Amino acid sequence: MAIHYILVLNRQGKTRLGKWFNNAYTEGEKQRYTSEIHRLISSRASKIQSNFIEYQQCKLVYRRYAGLYFISAIDISDSELASLESLHFFVEVLDTYFDNVCELDLIFNFYKIYYILDEVYLAGQYQEISKERILERVRMLDKLD
Amino acid sequence: MGSLKTFIKNVRKSKTIADERAVIKKESASIRTSFRDAGLDHTTRRINISKLLYLYILGEKTHFGQVECLKLLASPRFADKRLGYLATTLLLDENQEVLTLLTNSLDNDMQHPNPFIVGIALCCLGSVASADLARDLHGNVERIFTSNNPYLKKKACFVAAKLVDRDPDLAETFMPKIDQLIGEKSPSILLGVSRLIQAIYDASPESRPALVKTVPRIVGHIKRVVSTGYLPDYDILGVTDPFLQVSLLSTLRTLAMDSTCSEKYLEEINDILTQVASNIDTGKNPAHAVLYECIKTIFTIRSDQSLRVLGVNLLGKFLSSKDNNTKYVALNTLLTVISIEPQAVQRHRSTIVSCLSDGDISIRRRALELSFAILNESNVRVLVREILQFLENCQDNELKPYITSQLIYVSDKFSPNQKWHFDTLTRMLRSAGSDVSSESVSHILALIMQCKDTELKKHVISKLVSSWLHDSTQFCLSLVTIWTLGEYGDLVLESGIYTEETEKVIDDTLILSIIESGINNTTFTESETTLLVSYVLTAIIKLSIKFKRPESIERLRVILNSKTHDTNLEIQTRAVEYKEIFTQDLQLKKGILAKMPPPVMKEAQTMSLQGSSHQKSGRVDNSHAKNSTDNGNDLLDLMDDNTTTGVETNYAANSQDLLKDIFGDVGNSNSNPTTGTNGNQSTNNNILDLFDPASNQSRAVHAPEVSKAPDYANSNIAVTFIPRSVPQNGSATIEAIVRGQQPNASIEDLQLLIAVPKSQKLTIASAAGDNSLSNGKSIKQVLKIIGKEGSKIKLRVKVTYNLNHQNVEDMFDFAGIKETL
Repeated sequence: MAIHYILVLNRQGKTRLGKWFNNAYTEGEKQRYTSEIHRLISSRASKIQSNFIEYQQCKLVYRRYAGLYFISAIDISDSELASLESLHFFVEVLDTYFDNVCELDLIFNFYKIYYILDEVYLAGQYQEISKERILERVRMLDKLD
Repeated sequence: MGSLKTFIKNVRKSKTIADERAVIKKESASIRTSFRDAGLDHTTRRINISKLLYLYILGEKTHFGQVECLKLLASPRFADKRLGYLATTLLLDENQEVLTLLTNSLDNDMQHPNPFIVGIALCCLGSVASADLARDLHGNVERIFTSNNPYLKKKACFVAAKLVDRDPDLAETFMPKIDQLIGEKSPSILLGVSRLIQAIYDASPESRPALVKTVPRIVGHIKRVVSTGYLPDYDILGVTDPFLQVSLLSTLRTLAMDSTCSEKYLEEINDILTQVASNIDTGKNPAHAVLYECIKTIFTIRSDQSLRVLGVNLLGKFLSSKDNNTKYVALNTLLTVISIEPQAVQRHRSTIVSCLSDGDISIRRRALELSFAILNESNVRVLVREILQFLENCQDNELKPYITSQLIYVSDKFSPNQKWHFDTLTRMLRSAGSDVSSESVSHILALIMQCKDTELKKHVISKLVSSWLHDSTQFCLSLVTIWTLGEYGDLVLESGIYTEETEKVIDDTLILSIIESGINNTTFTESETTLLVSYVLTAIIKLSIKFKRPESIERLRVILNSKTHDTNLEIQTRAVEYKEIFTQDLQLKKGILAKMPPPVMKEAQTMSLQGSSHQKSGRVDNSHAKNSTDNGNDLLDLMDDNTTTGVETNYAANSQDLLKDIFGDVGNSNSNPTTGTNGNQSTNNNILDLFDPASNQSRAVHAPEVSKAPDYANSNIAVTFIPRSVPQNGSATIEAIVRGQQPNASIEDLQLLIAVPKSQKLTIASAAGDNSLSNGKSIKQVLKIIGKEGSKIKLRVKVTYNLNHQNVEDMFDFAGIKETL
């Protein structure tokens, strides 16, 4: 019961964020999975299809926000609905932090996205569920930089 | 060297991929060079590492920077440490010796007086927790539990859980902390504790009884969350702290399944589940997430009858939701619930069936599985009708073999009467006759042989023939139709049966036309064709004693003769043998060609019930093993193409043996050779009448493929040209079909180059299939030719391909179309 990886891809399939909670993946695997997942997800019709697909002994839970796909891969037995909600939570945190987040924010501040991700998720689990606390924490850390 | 921002801008500015590569290569090289500088200051190093991270996101090689990451995180500055740890978690993998270097830094930083530094160190350990790191650093994590900082405590829980996952021996170390931690009230710490309990539960069976004792505390926490009102910090769309509820419920489920969980605890769990399930309004995703967890728990643990009914009702609500995600989880859960509460699931039959026409393929698949799972005597008519309809519109070829084998299984088991049974099977053959396994074909044939009712047999034949007239490209439908005509042709010839839709009388002429199109087909793969032609030959010899008109019999003989020189050994042998029988006197022939005795199905069934076989055949024994395991699984196992039921396999073995026995006799019989005349073109024309393009549009597309021989063939490939429309007004559309001639050869990278005379213009339109002919695939290409009216169509064709990895080139000319532009 854990998240295996979280990916943020744009519609062309470019990686905007890749967090692999399990270090057993090789670089080659990461690249292959990323492009396969993009192909899988971008071909699905969001209106009529669910946000879940089974892939490589995992379940992909994804959601599209404007031009970006937020994807997390979870265990087959994990709750898809809760994971979807936590992805949305992550996006909401980003949105507040950047004040209307867009793809360019993710490109130029990729390391900040990772910092925020590390406050939302830890060791493949969502660790904090209060938006205020996370933002407060990240801002405090930013001040120390 | 510029800043990170300049680098990102430069990459984005690149107009071409080559430009981008150049920018990346240059930057990567300069980062490498600067890393070689021993006196590199931390600020430059930090900029370099941040660029390295960007390279990582782009998917570039970054391994050369790993040691630099460790150097950076050893810096006393917070900004350096933060980026250094981030880079380390992303760039390092667990198999590296560099990890040992990391141990020391982590050890120091986890004891740092600044809690923020401890926090980022914990975060790093949570990501790169190798078994070695787990053993070396668990003491530091333990120490953090005693601190009063809730932020660190929370992180420590998650990291500890990860360490236990990695090294199960550590469960003992962290077990004593649980008692104190479960008393915490902070939601995020509880989230961590819940995770830690599950990790320890999975890793250490000895700790389980002690963990089960936390059940009342967990129940208490859930109760508190449910009964607290609105908490702005933790509210998501009107649900208080759904994440914590989900996590606690899932831990509760793990603990409740343990054998040491007492009745009293179970009662408490039942109560809290009722409370959670009845307190939430459905409609929003967070609410559904919590309910979904409740439902899963209800059906996994020993829960009350009333609670289970509540669970199924909630799933019913989920099913009728507009949201596809909710539907998806509901169907998934119902599949597991069906074995526990079959009656309750039945009540949602109409909703399940309506999901068969959902827009989402994964929802359709699950609805299909469920439909088979809830099928029984009372609903077989309704459900099978729905499933057949689904099959007729099914575009997903992966699904079809599953559906057909399941349909055969359920119609065998629940069929209300024989007529219904046969009607179902013919309808199935008609819509998915190419996706039926050979076992299933044998089974259907055995069923027909079993049938004692002559009127019903006639009905079946009429159905089969009309289905075949409707679509003759369904392979197994052709097999069954041709076999049945051969075996029982006399029944229909005597009494003049009409086909259903076209109202044609089934007489010698119609049967002959079916036989000829079977012999001349080009739709099927080579192995399929061999099988089909064998069936046709058997039908011919059987019909030779059933036809009354001498010219029809003569026609049969001519067709049979045409196959005595076939290049396929199996077909040739059979044709020659049958040719011998053909000339025997009628009395002897009647003896040899008598009807097949129906295979004894009863025996097969009792055999499988007893569970042991006295037969010597290994195959039958095999099917027994299958029978016991498959019957339960095959309903659920959608992806397994080989799904068969034990009963079928028995039939298959049985009827195949019978066929062999009979053909064996035939082969041994001895007779005089005869000579025959070729000719008699009259019946040949029938086939053209039958497929008159004007009479039926849809047939016009298929028909030529069936009867046309390849326009060019060598030992590797065969190319057929089929005019899509009659050439007129100076334009023609032709379809080129390329097939492999050897089923086992690998033909890849096939290219079709076609040239027309200078006065004409050629456009090559869409191609169907990829560029490979391996495994019986074919390639179709549509050609459009425009030229002067009245000119003849001439093509020069060059085909290049890789045959078993060797390049081959074939060239030929084609002018086989009589009509002019």
